[in-house]
Amino acid sequence: MAAPRRLFYRSETRFLLLGLPGVMFVVFFLLFPIVSVIVFSFWRTESYEIYADWNLDNYRTVLFEGTYLTFLWRSIVTAVVVTAACLVYAWPVAYFIAKYGGRYRLLLVLALAAPFFTGAVLRLSALQAIMGPIGVINMALGMFGLPAVEFLMFNKFASGIGIAYLYLPFMVTAIYLSLLNFNFQLLNVAKVNGARPWRAFLTVTWPLNWIGTAIGITLVFIPCLAESLTPTFLGGPSGKLYGSVLGLQFDQTGTWALGSAMGVLLFAVCCVVIAVMWWTIDLRRTGFTGAGR
Amino acid sequence: MTNVAVGLQGLTKRFGRTVAVDRVTLEIDQGEFFSLLGPSGSGKTTLLRIIAGLEDPDEGRIVIDGKDVTGLPPYARKVGMVFQDFLLFPHMTVGENILFPLRMQGAPRAERDERLGWIVKLLHIDGLEERFPHQLSGGQQQRVALARGLISRPALLLLDEPLANLDRELRKEMEVEVRRYQRELGIPFVYVTHNQEEALTMSDRIAVMRVGRFEQVAPKFEVYSDPATAFVASFVGHANRMRGRVAALEGGRATIDWDGARFAVPAPGGAGVGAAVDVFVKCERLTVLPSGSAAPAGANRLDGVLRDVIFKGQIADYIVARPSGVEIVVSEAASLPRAKAGDTVLITWAPDTGHGFPAEGA
Ligand SMILES: Nc1ncnc2c1ncn2[C@@H]1O[C@H](COP(=O)(O)OP(=O)(O)OP(=O)(O)O)[C@@H](O)[C@H]1O
Ligand SMILES: [Mg+2]
Repeated sequence: MAAPRRLFYRSETRFLLLGLPGVMFVVFFLLFPIVSVIVFSFWRTESYEIYADWNLDNYRTVLFEGTYLTFLWRSIVTAVVVTAACLVYAWPVAYFIAKYGGRYRLLLVLALAAPFFTGAVLRLSALQAIMGPIGVINMALGMFGLPAVEFLMFNKFASGIGIAYLYLPFMVTAIYLSLLNFNFQLLNVAKVNGARPWRAFLTVTWPLNWIGTAIGITLVFIPCLAESLTPTFLGGPSGKLYGSVLGLQFDQTGTWALGSAMGVLLFAVCCVVIAVMWWTIDLRRTGFTGAGR
Repeated sequence: MTNVAVGLQGLTKRFGRTVAVDRVTLEIDQGEFFSLLGPSGSGKTTLLRIIAGLEDPDEGRIVIDGKDVTGLPPYARKVGMVFQDFLLFPHMTVGENILFPLRMQGAPRAERDERLGWIVKLLHIDGLEERFPHQLSGGQQQRVALARGLISRPALLLLDEPLANLDRELRKEMEVEVRRYQRELGIPFVYVTHNQEEALTMSDRIAVMRVGRFEQVAPKFEVYSDPATAFVASFVGHANRMRGRVAALEGGRATIDWDGARFAVPAPGGAGVGAAVDVFVKCERLTVLPSGSAAPAGANRLDGVLRDVIFKGQIADYIVARPSGVEIVVSEAASLPRAKAGDTVLITWAPDTGHGFPAEGA
C-alpha cells in the first residue's frame, strides 16, 4: 500500500504554496498602492493635510485645466519618439549580438547593461557632463573655436536623448532574448524560396520576434511616460514632463489628492498602451506552439 | 539547348583548414534523380548550400539551366530546397508555408490558388491548409516542406537528408513517394543522404563522397556492383573486407593469400605480385554449405565454424569464424542451409565476384 500522502505533498497544498509569493506581490505592491491612489484621488488636500471628503475636483482640475493635459501630451509624444528611437537602434544591436556574438554574447549584453550598475542619477550626471554647456562635446568644439551646440543643452531634445539612454538596454535585452530563441536557419529557407533579405526580415524575423519586441516597447514606453528624473537633469524649462509635474504634487506642493488623480490618469493611459500591445499579439502567429490547440 | 540541368565546375570550399568541398565537377541531367552519398562530415551539406547560394565557393562555377549563377544570391537562382528538420515557418499556416515561394515571386492570386490545389493533391495533404505546422505529424510536415520546395517548379530541387527525422516505416513509404513525385514533375533532384539504402532505392545516379571529394559517380547499380575504390566498396552494401597479398596474377585473375587460405578474385588494378591488397566480397555473394559439400567447380572455398545466425526476416546473416578467429558474414535466404551454431561449414563464392584494391596505408 502506498504511504499516506502528507499534507505538503498534496497537489492543492503545493499549488497554494507556489502561488503565494506571486499573489502576495500583486496584493501588496500592485493592488494595495493602486487602490489607495484611486481612493486619494477622490479626496481633498489642504495645507499638507488630506481629508476624506469625496469629490471630483481633482479630476476636473487635471482634465480641464489645460496645463496638465499639455504635459501629459508632451509625455506621450516624448515616449512615442523615444520608444521608436530605441526600437530602431536596439534591433540591429540585438541582432548583431544574437547572431555574431558567439560565446561573447552574454558579455556583450552585460556590457550594454553596465551603466545600470551605477544608478540613474549618476548616469544622468555623466550625460550632463558630456552634453552640457561645459560638457565634453562643447568643450571640444570650443577648443577648435567652434560655437557650442545649443540643441544638446537643457531642452526636450537633450532629455529625449537622456531617456532613450536610460531605457535602451531594456529594449535591447528584450529583443536579444527573443532572438536567442529564433532559428536563423529559417532565413536561409526564406532566401532559397525567393525572399530578398529585407523581405525575409519582414515576413519571417519580425513576426517571429514580435512578442519580444512588444515587451521591449512596453518596457520602454511605460517608464518613459512617467519619467521625471531625466527632465530635471537635462530638460530645462521647456523639457518638463507630466512625471515631473506629478512629482511636484507630492514632494513640493503637498497636493497629494491632485497628484493621485494625475497618477490614476497616467495609470489609465498605461492600461490602454498595454491593451493595444496585447491586441497586436496573435499567439498563433508568433510561432508560440503552446497556443491554439 | 543541352540536356544538362546543372553543371558544377571545380567547386572548392574551405572552412579555415578543413576543405569541406574539394574540386567537385559534375553534370546533372534534366529529370535526373541524383544522390550524394557519404559519411558524416564528407561535405554533402556544404555542396548543397553552395548550389543553393547559401555559401560562396572559394573556387569553381555553378551553371543552372545554362546560366552561370555562381555570384547570384539564393533568391535569384530558381532552386528549391528541402531541409532535414523541415524548417517550416511556425507562424504561417500550411497553406501559407507552401505558397511562400509564389508569394515572393509575386504570382497572381488565381495562379497561387490553382497551384496550391494541385500540389496538395499530389502530396496528399489536402485539407491541412489551415493548420499550423506544430499541429502536423512528422510525415505531414515533411510533405509540406516538399510541397513548398516544389510549388514554384524550380529548375532544381535540393534535398538535405529530408527523411532522416522520420521513423523507419514512414521513411520507406516516403522514399517511394518522393521518387514518384520526381518522375511526375521531371524536376532534377539532388538528394543528400548518408543512408545507402535510401540512395540505392531512389536514385538514377549516385556520387559517393568522402572528405569533400567524389570517390565515384555512376549509375546506382554500378556503384553497388562495381565499386571504383576501396572506400566505395566498404561504404555501399555490406561487404567482407579481407586484407591479403597477391600470390599470383594470371589472365585477369589474382590469387590472394589470406588468413592461411587462398582464393581467386578479379585482378586488382595497380597491384603486382606480393602487393598488399584489400579484397571486398559482398555478403550476399557468399554461400554457406555444410562442410564436406561439393562446391561448384572452380569456386573459392573457405573453411570455418558457424558462430551465429542472425535472423532478419527474409534473409539471415551467418557469422562464420575462421580458425584464426577472423569472422566472415554471409547473407542468405533464411531457410538455407539448415546449419546450427557450432557446425563446421564451407563458404564458397565464384572467383569472378569480389573487388580488390591496393591496400590503403599498407
Ligand atoms: N560553417 C562552417 N564552419 C566551419 N566548418 C564547417 C562549416 N560547415 C561545415 N564545416 C565543416 O565542413 C565539413 C563538411 O561538413 P558538411 O556539413 O558539409 O558535412 P555533411 O556531409 O553534410 O555531414 P552530415 O552527414 O553530418 O550532415 C565538416 O568537416 C564540417 O565540420
Ligand atoms: Mg549534412
